[in-house]
Parts: sequence; structure tokens; C-alpha cells
Amino acid sequence: MSLANLQGRVAWIFEEDDFDIDLIVGVRNIKITDLNELVAVTMSDYDPGFATAVKKGDLLVGGKNFGYGHPHYPAMRAMRHLGISGVIAESFSPGFFRGEISMGFPLATCPGIRAAVQRWDEVQVDWAKGQATNLRTGQALPLQPLSSAERGTLEAGGLVPYLKTRLAAQAQAVGST
Amino acid sequence: MPQTMTEKILARASGRASVKAGDDIVAKPDFVIAYDFPGYTDVFFKETREEFGVDKVARPERFVLFIDHMVPAAAPKEEELHKMTRAWGKAQGVPVHEREGIGHQVSAELGYATPGAFAVHFDGHVSQLGAFGTYAFGARKGVLEAFVGETMALTVPPTVKVEIVGKLQPGVMARDVFHHMVRVMGPSSCAFKVVELCGPVIDEMSIEGRQTICGQAMFLGATTMLIAPDAKTLDYVRGRSKIALEPVFPDPDAVYETEVRIDVSSLSPIVVVPPSPANTRDLMDYVGIEVHTGYLGSCASGRLEDLRAAADVLRGRRIKPGFQLHVVPTSQAIMAQAANEGLIGCLVEAGAFISSPSCDYCFGKIATMADGQRAVSTGTLNTPGRMGSVDSEIYICNAAVVAASALEGCIADPRPYLAQAATAAGGPK
Repeated sequence: MSLANLQGRVAWIFEEDDFDIDLIVGVRNIKITDLNELVAVTMSDYDPGFATAVKKGDLLVGGKNFGYGHPHYPAMRAMRHLGISGVIAESFSPGFFRGEISMGFPLATCPGIRAAVQRWDEVQVDWAKGQATNLRTGQALPLQPLSSAERGTLEAGGLVPYLKTRLAAQAQAVGST
Repeated sequence: MPQTMTEKILARASGRASVKAGDDIVAKPDFVIAYDFPGYTDVFFKETREEFGVDKVARPERFVLFIDHMVPAAAPKEEELHKMTRAWGKAQGVPVHEREGIGHQVSAELGYATPGAFAVHFDGHVSQLGAFGTYAFGARKGVLEAFVGETMALTVPPTVKVEIVGKLQPGVMARDVFHHMVRVMGPSSCAFKVVELCGPVIDEMSIEGRQTICGQAMFLGATTMLIAPDAKTLDYVRGRSKIALEPVFPDPDAVYETEVRIDVSSLSPIVVVPPSPANTRDLMDYVGIEVHTGYLGSCASGRLEDLRAAADVLRGRRIKPGFQLHVVPTSQAIMAQAANEGLIGCLVEAGAFISSPSCDYCFGKIATMADGQRAVSTGTLNTPGRMGSVDSEIYICNAAVVAASALEGCIADPRPYLAQAATAAGGPK
């Protein structure tokens, strides 16, 4: 199995370091579980037209330590529902990183990305080559590699299918001895 | 091979003689801890059963559940969640502790903070069990693996050794030490690493202060934080520990990725200004800013030494009319002891609103702020909207600063009040 590359427009650049992703839906809304309700409040403090402007496959770009704070799941659930296919950031806060990889949501750590893109640039993430490329400028930047477990989780589509695969492999290994 | 505390604990938990940073291992958590919250426990229960066909979890004695958020319930669907949690616990033979306090504190009181143990939770603030030498990891969704089976796959993290030296000045609390660490080291300085905390200041520090610091490891980016057990730790856990384990200490020649030494002798109280816990500043640069509400509580603060410090500031005084001071002891045991010591009476007489333990004040579920209001808070986080309107502001500080600010109606220096209290008590404390 190989990890599907990402290609899409930069739908938003979160310029600030230590960005708290709960702000995407507003902290007051983090207990909302209904996706339509969530989408209605997503990015309302940043760009009220966001939901209509994005299309499937678009990407987000973040600064250093993206996801700092208490990263709850609703913000990225809403983003996925809107078609966002992944986040490329200078670096990620570990809690956010673990949580979203578990959801099967691709996160690419790419120092230099913030200065290398403008909103709506078309960007490609090539996991095999280990680089992110701005297709408008041609500039390519190296990605920090994923661990084998992170890669496996993304390939499987999230922690639940990844665990199933691993448990099946373990059962097979036990059965064959 | 010399090893850090983390390496020793994870070696035992993975059945190996030794492990080192970077090793991929499969380890057995000694404890699986969670509180009920929509999208977390309800999902874990469902997925465990429906996706993996596990009707009964293996070794239910590993598990403990807390009901500490949405306490008391304010809507039928919140109580429905609690009902589901109670029912799951009963069916699985897993204890559910309800209304006893914030789970991260009650875990320690009940003996899940066993020195040398490996504990997992979905919430990163479980790192405060590290104050007792427990490797406590907030794995987020990853905790599901420990529901489905008995193991968890992980990579052994590298360790950063942080030594706190010098002597704390009066009025400077554990809370200040932690946020000073963030200021000196940086909010992502320990990303995907573990902090081993030591030094004479930590040796002198109370168990409560150590819990305060370890519990916020995530704001350094750290996976967790640990302190080697000492006589104070062993006294605390004696008769409580849920399992018999040899306490674990770092080898003198253990390999650390980085070693940091921070002298806190000249540290004065801090304030963490909005919008992020990355923003540690000197309190004195913010004294005089009008504030409308104060929160003394949370898993990070709200313990006896916090309540004592607040009482020292407030004793015999009244908070500013119109100011809302919410005091929420972290657990029932702490609240009872505070009552025995006369602290509750003292705080009430000063005008504080005292609540039984609950997580709900920390995330603005109750006592919410309106547009334009400002809080001084010992809560965990100061993100805009965390305690109400996104147009309200949260200034994080120690418990004595919250109390002094309640008296003055603006961010205030507690040290003159504390000095008076010390004099009244017959000498410096």
C-alpha cells in the first residue's frame, strides 16, 4: 500500500505560530457533533465565505507548533467535511498531530512552507519523494519523514482500520507458528 | 545500559531488558484512565464493541473512569452520556468515580499514580501522574488500542532533563515555575519528547506543586513529564498504590537528548497573557489591568496550597464589589480538608463563590464571560472563548494573584498581602 499524494489549492494560511485550532470553529462550539452545525460556524471568525470558496482536495497551511493548546476534533472534522484533504505546516504540536493522524487525516511537516505559498496557490505533497511543491512557483521543499506507524495509520485510513490490519497480522502470525 | 526513567518504565511494560529512545515497542499499559466526554469515551465504547467485536475488555482492573466534566449535568443529553458511562462500567466491571473531583487528581488519590507504572489516557493532562514517577501518556484517539487489547504500540521518546535550581522567592508558586519553563525553553521545545524534572527546587516542592508542573507538560510540547520518586512521593503512595511495583529512578549516566538548567532565584510571579499558553510575561508589567472575574481551580491548580495562598491574601478582607471569584477545589478530599482547616469559611467570608469539584469552570461551560470581560485564572488554557465569549480575555496566573486581583478588581501583586499574612502568623513562611 502506498500513501496517496495530496494536491490542491491553499485554502487558508494560518500565519501565526502556536495556532489553537479550536479557534477555527470557536471554542464555544467544540461540543457540537452535528457536521452541518459545525460547518456553519467553521472559519466564521476568519472568512465567512470560506465554506463556499473551498473545493474538494484543498489544503491548509500552518505555522510552527500548529495545533497548540487543547486540540479538539471538531475543527478538522468540519474541514474534512468541506473537502480539505490535509494540512502542511512548519511543525505540529504533538497532541494535534497524534489525534489527526489517528483520524487518518494527512499532516505534512514542511519547514519553510509558510513563506513559500500564497492563498490559492496549487500545492502538491509527494510522500514518496518526501517533498511539497508549489506548482505556481515550482519551489520544492523537503518534508520531515513520517514514522512507520504514522505512515501505516494514514495508509489504512485511520487508527481503527490500521489496528484491524495489525491485529489480523498478529493473529495470522500466531496461527502460523 | 544506562537508562532514563522513561526507558526503564517502557522496558518493563514491553517485557524487554532495556529500550532506548527511538525504539518501536509494544507495551502493556498498567492503567487505562478516561473521563467521559462526547466524541471520546462514547466512541471508544462503540468502536471497541462494533469495530473489533470486543464485548468485554481484557483485565478490567486496568481501567478507571471518571465523571468530572458536565458535573452537575445541565442538559438531559449530558446526563445521558453519564448514564452510558455508568452502564458501561457496570457491564465491564470497571470502576466509575463520579463527583469525587477532577480525575487527574483523584487518580493520584486512589493510587493509580504508582511510581514506575505506565498509564494511558486520551487527555494529555494525565501527565501530572508523572509527579509520582508514573509514565502517564495522553494518547488521544490512540488510547482505543488499550480498550481493544492489552497493548499499545509506541516509539520510545527521547528525554530532556530539566533541572530547576536556586530558591523560590515568597509569592512565587509552582504555577510560575512551569510558565517560566515555557518562557525559557519555548512552547514546542520538547515536542514528541519526555521531560525528566529534577533539582533542588523540585526536591523542596510539595507533591501538589509537582502535580501542577507535570500536568502541563503538553504546553512544552512534551509527551509527558516525570519526577523521580523521593520520600515525599513514597509517603503519599504508601497504602494507595493499586499495583506493587519497584519505584524507578534514572541512572546517573542515562542518556538525555538535552539537559536544561533553570535558576529560579530571581523569578517573580508571572502572568500568561492571551491568546496562548505560550505567552509568559512578568506579572508586574500587567498590574492594574481591569479584570471582572477570577477562577481558582482546575487540574493544574485548586489544591490545598493554592487555597491556602488565596486564604492568606483574602483573610479578613472582602473582594471588590461586583467581582466574581469562583473557587473550585480540585477534589472532594481537598475540599473536605480545606473545610477542616477553615479555608472554605475564610474564602466565603471574603466573598468567594465556592463550588464542588468540576472541570466545567475551566472551559467556560459555567461561569461564562460576556464580550469585553477579563478573567484572572488558574485554569489550564487562555485561548479566546475558552471561558465564554471569544471577545473575553483570560490571564493565567497563580492562586495568590487571582485572590489579590479579586480584592483590587485589577491584576494585582499578592506579595504585600502574603507578607502581611506571614507577619500575622508570626514570621516569614
